[in-house]
Amino acid sequence: MPLEGLKGRRALVTGAASGIGSSIVERLKREGIAVVATDIHPAKGITLADLTDADDVEKLAGTAGAIDFLVNAAGGPAVVTRKETLPPIPGAIALEDVDEQTWSAVIAANLTTAFLVCREFAPRMKARKFGRIVNFASIAARRGSDRVGVHYAAAKGGIIGLTKTLALELGPHNITVNAIAPGFIKTPRIEQAGWGSASAAFIESLPLQRAGTPDDIAGVVAMLCSEAGGYVSGATIDVNGGWYFGP
Amino acid sequence: MKVAIVTGAAKPDSIGHEVARRLLKEGMQVVVADLYEEGFSALRQCLCIRCDVADSASVGEMVDKAVEQFQRIDVLVNCVGGSWGITRQDLLASPPPGFRGLANCSLEDWRTIVAANLDAVFYSCRAAAPHLKKQGGAIVNVASIAARKGIPPGSEGSSGPYAVAKAGVMGLTRQLALELGPHGVRVNCVAPGVIASGRLKRVLEITGQDHGPEGPLKTIPMGRVGTVDECAALIVALCTDDTAYMTGVTVDINGASYAA
Repeated sequence: MPLEGLKGRRALVTGAASGIGSSIVERLKREGIAVVATDIHPAKGITLADLTDADDVEKLAGTAGAIDFLVNAAGGPAVVTRKETLPPIPGAIALEDVDEQTWSAVIAANLTTAFLVCREFAPRMKARKFGRIVNFASIAARRGSDRVGVHYAAAKGGIIGLTKTLALELGPHNITVNAIAPGFIKTPRIEQAGWGSASAAFIESLPLQRAGTPDDIAGVVAMLCSEAGGYVSGATIDVNGGWYFGP
Repeated sequence: MKVAIVTGAAKPDSIGHEVARRLLKEGMQVVVADLYEEGFSALRQCLCIRCDVADSASVGEMVDKAVEQFQRIDVLVNCVGGSWGITRQDLLASPPPGFRGLANCSLEDWRTIVAANLDAVFYSCRAAAPHLKKQGGAIVNVASIAARKGIPPGSEGSSGPYAVAKAGVMGLTRQLALELGPHGVRVNCVAPGVIASGRLKRVLEITGQDHGPEGPLKTIPMGRVGTVDECAALIVALCTDDTAYMTGVTVDINGASYAA
């Protein structure tokens, strides 16, 4: 049975050019949703925008029009710039080696983007008395990050606070706000970073004994946008194969 | 064809009833395990088995019958629960008035409520696990917002032992996720806030329309209670491949009442 409540709706997916974001776009389209896909990285079907820039976000709102589902998938552990829009994923950085530029860039890419996009689109959802917002936290914020570092964990932890606060603030307007906290998800960029093969023992240690796929995450996004997510709000959903169970 | 067992699905306005209906629509064979035989006639497409989930022998027989009939179990949804209307004797009783905390709880009440809400989940998971492990599958348990935040003194319709037992369900869910994950069986639970089931209707009859079992309804940020459809849709999603990489998770469904 298809999920109820998706067909004919409109969605905006950020970070849509690659990995998890692009799987979400494909999945939502298969459900009959009209999707506006945006990214800082140019790719087919992508509306270009630097979501750390409020002017770009405002422009995006102009082209996107009315949106029912907002999926904030933009972000990641790498330092993204307008010149280098899809840089390789770095390895772990120890506290004393996190410089201010990396700290600020990763907070901006993961947390400021979600804030600016929510601030732009929430009033439009309020006016229409309907909305579903799905943000992206991470296992890094749930159990701590030993693969990236304090900057990424802090940014993703911020997403959880933003999500809970917006759930309270937007709930009276029939807008749900939730976060997904993915665990180890095998994307092409993660494999390039050498994490794909280096972790056989780790993968074996997971209760489900496999890495996650971008489709595993896209399924949960679809669920949260559907009837099944109608009364779920303020939640952070761990999607990690049993790696960490949440609070 | 996949086979699902749903406990606590016979009462027509229950979450379990809607879960059973939706699993049928997913194309599954559905087995309903319940004490409320009067409800079986509305579930003709299901194999309905009279079962006292608080009695391990009764649960064992129910699972045996299901396997005898359909040869396999793919999904187990444990919906039975509550603070009242949960034994053979008081199946149709109204909620007892007054606050039922822990400090004023009789041993009899403690045992009855823990048996129906926690022992029952243990019995059915333990009985179904060998069959689920054969080809993989999913278990969904129903916890409660009560496990997250307790039952506020002065409220009516729920109970202290219920809050404790539902927290136990969350722990049971995690433990079984570790044990059954390597066999391809996912184990998750939902923690509903106030849902507009028949049970809520009965509570509101004694508390007035503005007080649910977990406190005043006007404090719910979404400004409404949840629907049985929403809760059942979430439970069914946790049975399907949309959630193939989730296990050990408690999904809160409470209109932003409590963010864990």
